[in-house]
This record gives sequence, C-alpha cells and structure tokens, in this order.
Amino acid sequence: MSELLTVAHLSKQFAAQPVLRDISFALNQGEVLAVLGRSGCGKTTLLKILAGLEAADAGTLHLQGQDLHPVPPNARQMVYLYQEPLLFPHLTVFENVAFGLRIRKVAKAEIDQQVSEMLDELDLRQHAQKAPNQLSGGQRQRVSFGRALIIRPRLLLLDEPFGNLDAQTRADMQQLFLRVSRQHQITSLFVTHDSREALTVGTRFGYLDQGALTSFASVAEFVQDARTAIGSELAFWESIQQTSRSSG
Amino acid sequence: MSSKARPFRLPSPLLGLYGLLVAGLPLAGLAYALLGSVGLAGPLAAGFTGRYWQALGADSGLPYAALFSGWVALASLGISTGLALLLVLRAQPTLRRWPLPGLLYVPLLLPALVVGFYLFQFLSRAGWLARISFRLGLISRLEAFPELVQDGAGIGIILAHVLLTFPFLTLLFLAIYRESRLDDYRQLTLTLGANAGQFRRRVAVPVLLRRAAPTLLLSFIATLGAYDIPLLLGRPYPQMLSVYIATRLQRFDLRELPAAYLAGFLVAVGLLGLISVLLRLTRRVRVE
Repeated sequence: MSELLTVAHLSKQFAAQPVLRDISFALNQGEVLAVLGRSGCGKTTLLKILAGLEAADAGTLHLQGQDLHPVPPNARQMVYLYQEPLLFPHLTVFENVAFGLRIRKVAKAEIDQQVSEMLDELDLRQHAQKAPNQLSGGQRQRVSFGRALIIRPRLLLLDEPFGNLDAQTRADMQQLFLRVSRQHQITSLFVTHDSREALTVGTRFGYLDQGALTSFASVAEFVQDARTAIGSELAFWESIQQTSRSSG
Repeated sequence: MSSKARPFRLPSPLLGLYGLLVAGLPLAGLAYALLGSVGLAGPLAAGFTGRYWQALGADSGLPYAALFSGWVALASLGISTGLALLLVLRAQPTLRRWPLPGLLYVPLLLPALVVGFYLFQFLSRAGWLARISFRLGLISRLEAFPELVQDGAGIGIILAHVLLTFPFLTLLFLAIYRESRLDDYRQLTLTLGANAGQFRRRVAVPVLLRRAAPTLLLSFIATLGAYDIPLLLGRPYPQMLSVYIATRLQRFDLRELPAAYLAGFLVAVGLLGLISVLLRLTRRVRVE
C-alpha cells in the first residue's frame, strides 16, 4: 500500500496550554485510522490542523509527498465532517450534494448524473427535492456524507460524525460508512470517544490522551491498552452474562 | 396532592380590549375612510356619491406618491441591507473592536425626527457641509452646493433612513451569523473546495437574507409609510404617501376631505395587501 499522509512532530498550544504534543503517524491509501479519545484531548484541533483550518506551532504534514503547509484548506481536497451534518438550510438534498461540483463549475449534465448516482448509493433518491429540515438525523448525516464523497476527497476527516444519533441509527451509519469507504477506497481519520465505534469502523487504531497520540500495531494491542477501557467493558458484559446464567 | 402550575390566561375583558385596539379600531378607521370617500361619513356628508372615486383617474398625485414612496423604501432598504451584509461578511473583526459595537446602537436610540433635523442642518445648502465647502473654496457660492436634502430624487430621505436602518440590520445579521453557526459553515465550505467569495455568495448571503426576510419586509413597510423624515427632508412634490395624505387631510377646505379619505383608504388597503403577499412569499421561501 502507498503512503498517503505523513504527520511528523506536530505540536500546538493555545495560550501556553499544550493541546497537541509531538504527534507523528502515517496513513496508507484506503486505511481508516480510528482515534479514540475523551472530550478535550485535542481530537478536533488535530483534525482542523490537517484540514488547514488551524495552523500548527511545529511539525510537518505531507500528503502524497506534497508539503501541505502552503496549501490553503480549499485546495487540500480534505473534507472535514462535523458532529452535526451542517447541511445548507436553503438548498435541497440534491443541491446540498451537488455543492462541491457547482463551485468547481462542473457541467450540468455531469452534475445531474453524479448526484443521482450518489443519492442512489446512499438510498436518498426519493428525498432529492426535500429541504434538510424535512429529513431525519440519519438521513441528514447521509446527505452530509454524499456532499463530501462527491468531490472524491483525498482524505476524509470525521469528528465524531455519529455522536448525535440514536443507537440504532448510529449502528446503521457505521455500516454505511464501512461499505462506502471500502467501495470508494476512502482514506479517513475518524475520531470518536466510543471504543465500539472505533473497533467497527477502523482498520488502524490510535488513542489520543492530553494531546499525545499512541498508535497501535494491532487490534489486540488496542483492546489490551487499559486507557481504551475496552478490557473493563468486556469484563463487565461477561459478569452480566455469568450473573444471568447463574440466576437462570 | 400535586401542585401543577396553571398556564396564565389573559382575562377575557383584557383580551377583548387588546383585540379592539389592534384590530377593531384600525378596521373602524378603514371603514370610516371608505364611507367618507363615498360621501356617507365626514363633516360634509351629503349622501352616496361616486365622484371622488371617478376623480381618482384624473389625479396623478396618489400614484406618483406611491411610486416615489416605493422608490425611497426600496433604495433605503437595498443600501442598508448591502451595507450591513458588507460589514458582517467582510469586516467582522473590525465590528467586534471597540468602539464600533457600541456605536452601532447609537442610531437606534435617536428619534427619526432628530436624525432628519441633523441631516437637514448638515446637508442643506445653508448647512454645515455647504459652508465648510464654501470656506475651503470648493464651491464659489452656497447655491453651487448640490441638492442633498429636499431634492427631487429623495436623496436626503434615503440617507436618513439608511442611517437609521443599517446599524439595526448589521446587529441583526451579526446575531443570525452567530446563531446559524455560519463560521462553522465557512470552515466546512472551505474544506469542500469553496473560496471565501463562494461561501459568501452561495451560503452566507442566502442564509442571512432568508432568516432576516420578515424583518426586512417590516422595515420596507415602515419606510414606505414613514412620515417625519419625508416631511422634513422631502419636497412639496413629489411627496411620500403619508405626507401626501396628511397634507390633504389638514387642508382648510373641508370639501377636500373625501378625496383624502379615499387616498388613505387605498394606501391602507394597498399596504395590507402588500404585507400579506410578501409574508406569504417569505413563508414559502422558508418552507422550501
């Protein structure tokens, strides 16, 4: 696999408070790096620096060998997805998805075809002419995905994108994300505070704690690390199972 | 026993009084104006007649006043909206810097008449600006100073309304910008490949205008029916609607009253119709 993103010795502080400390990692084409971390651990700052929306104090970023430092956010082809879908309220579902193509002045026929295909893929065809406020939470998040995917981003940056959804919709969206990212060979950095979500969507794993990133070589290492609390959660469910067996 | 708080209900007599004040009296006034225009009410009422309505076709004063008012309201609101959008979308850091946030509130505290008077003092041919220009040798005589108040195009009236309206719209757009999280949208559109101009044109301006549409509409109607500024800064001809009607109502010749009632009735009905059409349009845009 070819190396797509290389991050080296990235640091950032706000008002003398370190937010990111000497972060280094590499990401190959088609990989999904799931980064687990609690609130305030620096996840959002890391994503915003990668997207070019924040400047790092130190360190380098290279995408396919290109130094990203002088590249403005609108030329990086790296889409940053928020926890909320942030659909444009004045545009229909179709126009929301078409946004990235319209600003690139793609021909109308081409836009119609690409957007229709994307809506089919995300099962949104029947909602094409609806306004965002007529959709459910899961549908809005799918439109947000479609709007990002249609410009074929080199890297997708996801900041707890399913954090506001109910458990069932969240599970559906995780499966959709898996399917779409495999199909389109999308490289992503997916930050979440939910270890189960990290294990579901990730192909590689990291843990961000007080601005320091630990990368894990395998799923087993990730699960065994006490900070991810996956071991204690497994123990909890096993104890529940044993209790239910013994009482039954 | 549960002690559930009962919702407060306005007593029926108070509700009736409120209904009478906001709907009953204006409707009664409208009915009186209609009856006056057909000779059935007023000091010289002498029975039903259609001659005031027939005379309307020969009188160009009312349509001209309506056109002039429309022009002033459109120009004032257009310039104020453009200025407010420019400030909010291009100069937000400056807007947050002292003393601008406080200064934006100052025009909101000034009565329209005071602003009109101040502009008259400042911009008329005998005003400060003309005298300063004369002293500096920019003009050879005071009469050479351009007509900026009491002019044919209503520049003075428009300027006064812009001075009063644009700070209010700036504060409104700033509040909508924050509430609609347009800064997050700006960052999102940047990562989708848009430049700052595309964000402003395709996202920020439509969102701001849609959210502010009802207020913009009310502002348009208020300017259309403005009285004190046009009275002070306008010409006897062309007049804005409210000045045109008031002038006719205040004439000594009581035989002029039915024509004034007719003008007032038509303007009130026209404005109500305009409000209902525009409200329906803004509601449709918000739903879409």
